[in-house]
Amino acid sequence: MTMRAILGLVGLNGWLLAVGACLLWGLRGFSSWVDIGRLCGLAYMVGVAAMGTLWTWQLVVGIDLTLAAVFVGGFVLAAVGIALGVAFHRALPPRGGLRFRAPSVTNAVGAALTVVFFEALFRSGRLAGLYEFDAWSFWVPKAKAIYYFGGLDHQFFSELPGQSYPPVVPALEAAAFRLMGGADVVTLHLQFWFLLLGFVAALVGLLSARVRPLLLWPSLLLVLVTPHVVGYALRPEGDFLLDELFALACVLMALWLVDREPWQLIAATLLGAGAILTKREGYVIVACLFVAAFVAGTRDARFVWPRIALAGVAALAAAVPWRVLLAVRGLSGGGPEAGGTGLFANFDRFWPSLRLALGTVFDFNIWLVVVPVFLIALLAAFACHDRELPVFAAVLFVLCVAALTWSTWAFPSLPITKEAALNPIVRFSGALVLAAAALVPLLVTRTGEAARR
Amino acid sequence: MISGRQLAVVAARVAVAASVVFGALYFVKALSDLDGRARANSELSFGDREIAGGNAILVSQDDAYDARSLIPPGATYRVRAGSLLRNAKPLTSTYVESWYRYFLMPRRPASNARWIICYGCDASGLGPSFENLWHDDNGVSIGRLR
Repeated sequence: MTMRAILGLVGLNGWLLAVGACLLWGLRGFSSWVDIGRLCGLAYMVGVAAMGTLWTWQLVVGIDLTLAAVFVGGFVLAAVGIALGVAFHRALPPRGGLRFRAPSVTNAVGAALTVVFFEALFRSGRLAGLYEFDAWSFWVPKAKAIYYFGGLDHQFFSELPGQSYPPVVPALEAAAFRLMGGADVVTLHLQFWFLLLGFVAALVGLLSARVRPLLLWPSLLLVLVTPHVVGYALRPEGDFLLDELFALACVLMALWLVDREPWQLIAATLLGAGAILTKREGYVIVACLFVAAFVAGTRDARFVWPRIALAGVAALAAAVPWRVLLAVRGLSGGGPEAGGTGLFANFDRFWPSLRLALGTVFDFNIWLVVVPVFLIALLAAFACHDRELPVFAAVLFVLCVAALTWSTWAFPSLPITKEAALNPIVRFSGALVLAAAALVPLLVTRTGEAARR
Repeated sequence: MISGRQLAVVAARVAVAASVVFGALYFVKALSDLDGRARANSELSFGDREIAGGNAILVSQDDAYDARSLIPPGATYRVRAGSLLRNAKPLTSTYVESWYRYFLMPRRPASNARWIICYGCDASGLGPSFENLWHDDNGVSIGRLR
């Protein structure tokens, strides 16, 4: 709860940003200082996903997550980024070319409101206690185990609930403890403030170059002020990081379907891998992302399909070491309770599960009107005969709703309820809703462009 | 006659307008909620903030702090919950063991540990070698087997 702890978090997140910036430069280069500033949020999230993946692998092979490991691992990834940048002659911003333009009124207002929101969110998390059941039951104990014992301690990682949950969030929390100088579970909430800030900055950076400010900020602010984000974003659990990584991966994939820039697909793959290693639900929703891209790319299948397949395999491969560890230690793999054919045995749960899934994403008291706005934007884009982007968004929505349905249907012990203590569907729905909010500005922009043609 | 494209543009504008209206209304509410939470958190005592979720489980914060001060960080311990607890809360018996596992780390729980947190258990059943180092009026005692 001290200033030192906060400075430690600033240091850790600055390090993640630096590592991510090197990787992003290796992937695409930076043409100007404005380009760097615009994409620093994405660089940070790429840094989180890449470091999280590296930490998972190093913990699996038995390398302790010490302070030195945090920095050496970062140096290795940064070196990979720099080596890629040199090898592919990536652009560097010109010297002395630092010029700022005055922002538009809409951008200034949107940015000011976002700053006010994040200031209030920071204060709300600054002295928050650890009340959340899952957080003190296993997320934070796993982080403490990594912090105190270095690695994936046999006793705690087998006795604590959520055996199959991958360790990106506990590793990130353990790294935060290292930089904070102790297992400060109060200040830990602010680590999740940095993640949400990085997510928002990444979205603004990715979208501001191609959508008008009036289309960008309302959608962004709407999702930020939803009761679920306001109430749950700073919980030291895996849900929101999963949602953030997934939503950004969706935006990058949507951009790739339009632009076909290789770095967009690689970054989406990296974020998808990070999502898979954040929470076991990541396997399902990242699969939804790649299938949606697969369907959307049908018109240019010879170009799109092999790349999507390769990216999907790469994202999934990131989880192989973790799955091997689970198998070697004889831990639960986290599959559905109902088993392979259990869905048919529990067919009576299908309709209530689907209703629960739809009821959750459309629940005004949880997500306000984010999903209805997304569907209106989607229909408008279809009406303008735009194809790839709306098809991608529509298939993604349908598949994610199916995944939400499956998450209740395939686990017969879960009651049909939105009660967070009994069924995690509300938390799981965040992935779809954040992605929907992120895609709205792109859909509306495409509608406007198509209507002008 | 309105064309499909014109209708799409209108729909897109409706989507943006809905975002602006609901975003603005709920921005104010969000700030108010966050402000209230910040105020509530700052008014907590150090103990209330550190114990946090444990306040709904423990019969007294002293149990947790004394367990942490008595049991050495490298030691193992076990929690024995029993029916002799006074002022128990609805969540106490179910979650006291798992909450201590979180709170007392890096101390490890072990079924044969010498350190015992007796949470309403029958201390006499622990045998004559049990050295009771701390106890309270609620029936919680902390000690070790000699």
